[in-house]
Amino acid sequence: MQVIMERLYLNFVKDNRWQYLANGLKTTLIVTLGAVMIGILIGFVVAVVRSTYEKTKKLKILNLVCRLYLTVLRGTPVVVQLLIIYFVIFGSVSINKTFVAIVAFGLNSGAYVAEIIRSGIMSIDEGQFEAGRSLGFNYPQTMIFIILPQALKNVLPALANEFIVLLKETSVAGYIALEDLTKGGDIIRSRTYDAFMPLIAVALIYLVMVVTFSKLVNILERRLRNSER
Amino acid sequence: MNANESLIRVVDLKKSFTGVHALKGVSTEIYRGEVVFVVGPSGSGKSTFLRCLNRLEDPTGGHIYFNGVDLMDPKVNINTHRQKMGMVFQHFNLFPHMTILRNMTIAPMKLQGVSKEQAEAEAMKLLERVGLGDRANAYPSQLSGGQKQRVAIVRALCMKPEVLLFDEPTSALDPEMVGEVLAVMRELAQEHMTMVVVTHEMGFAREVADRVLFMADGQILEEGAPAEFFEHPSNERLKTFLSKVI
Repeated sequence: MQVIMERLYLNFVKDNRWQYLANGLKTTLIVTLGAVMIGILIGFVVAVVRSTYEKTKKLKILNLVCRLYLTVLRGTPVVVQLLIIYFVIFGSVSINKTFVAIVAFGLNSGAYVAEIIRSGIMSIDEGQFEAGRSLGFNYPQTMIFIILPQALKNVLPALANEFIVLLKETSVAGYIALEDLTKGGDIIRSRTYDAFMPLIAVALIYLVMVVTFSKLVNILERRLRNSER
Repeated sequence: MNANESLIRVVDLKKSFTGVHALKGVSTEIYRGEVVFVVGPSGSGKSTFLRCLNRLEDPTGGHIYFNGVDLMDPKVNINTHRQKMGMVFQHFNLFPHMTILRNMTIAPMKLQGVSKEQAEAEAMKLLERVGLGDRANAYPSQLSGGQKQRVAIVRALCMKPEVLLFDEPTSALDPEMVGEVLAVMRELAQEHMTMVVVTHEMGFAREVADRVLFMADGQILEEGAPAEFFEHPSNERLKTFLSKVI
């Protein structure tokens, strides 16, 4: 018992080391939330472009651009993308690392979100489209009022899952020396030469966040389901 | 109301899907206040014909004049004309994420600038008429098939259309629910709503129609008043068809 208390003190209390975790957590959350927003924005646009092309054969050029984006972003590891964006694209300018991480993870997540939303749009019965159009709604109005609300509801679990994946994926931000939660734990390890305590603490924090978020999504899903029955 | 005024004039309407000619040059005229039934074997092109009228299906050739405007003209904004051509589908196609009331009011509110109060008042009046006033705040999944189709009909009516297009409105219904939907359609016919109805309900066609079209192989092979059409068919294909379905 005495030993455990000492290790806890050494790793988290001494020299205010808990602040590495606290500040790291803050950075992780900022990067995740920022990336989610970019990802959903990009995902929406790409999904609508792709499904519009599939349904109407319009937006051919844009569709090609989107497919290229999807192929590249889904075909390369996110760490490599992060490194390229930091060292190649922004290599010659001094730039905020948090910003770079948000952009990199946002671009990456957007590709997955796009495919999730697209599958949601394509899963909606063609009759819904026809009913909207037959009332006189144009294509964008039909999308906004009729298709997307249903599509988003159907893919909500998949989107939540993507958020969870993203939250955990940001742990590689240490590759550009961004001090996120994982990096924070690792810094403590390098100071105290105790790997167990800081790394288990980091893992627990991720776990608590993911479990809490999953619970919230479950509640939300149940509410949405109830609203129709 | 001018009884002999042409509302829809179809000239040499053609539609081909890859390799299949679904419509091989169909011409006819729908007059204001007229109830026209389209019957024929499956694959005859009758649904395609109906869906071409509001260009839900894009015809490959020909002309559709609606109120004198050629809907095939690429400069025409089809959306404004569709507002005046209500459509009722085989599978109802109500919006499952909206209440019945919202299903009915969203289009008038968003497209015609009708106020919420007015749109809801008009929708409620129509719902009462078809006996569903108490279901206004229900969701489509809580309704039976017959109720859904009645809602679908009044949803189309909320836009105050000049014509209603029915695409096999009773084909997806349980037999005991067909009657309630036909009753609503009968009432509309009696009020001289212009209607084009694709159906397999021969008895109903005979009772309600002003004119019946027989389609087969993407063409109109015979048309006439129901008495003449059903009692004294002249076309051989129609004779065979009627002997099978009646």
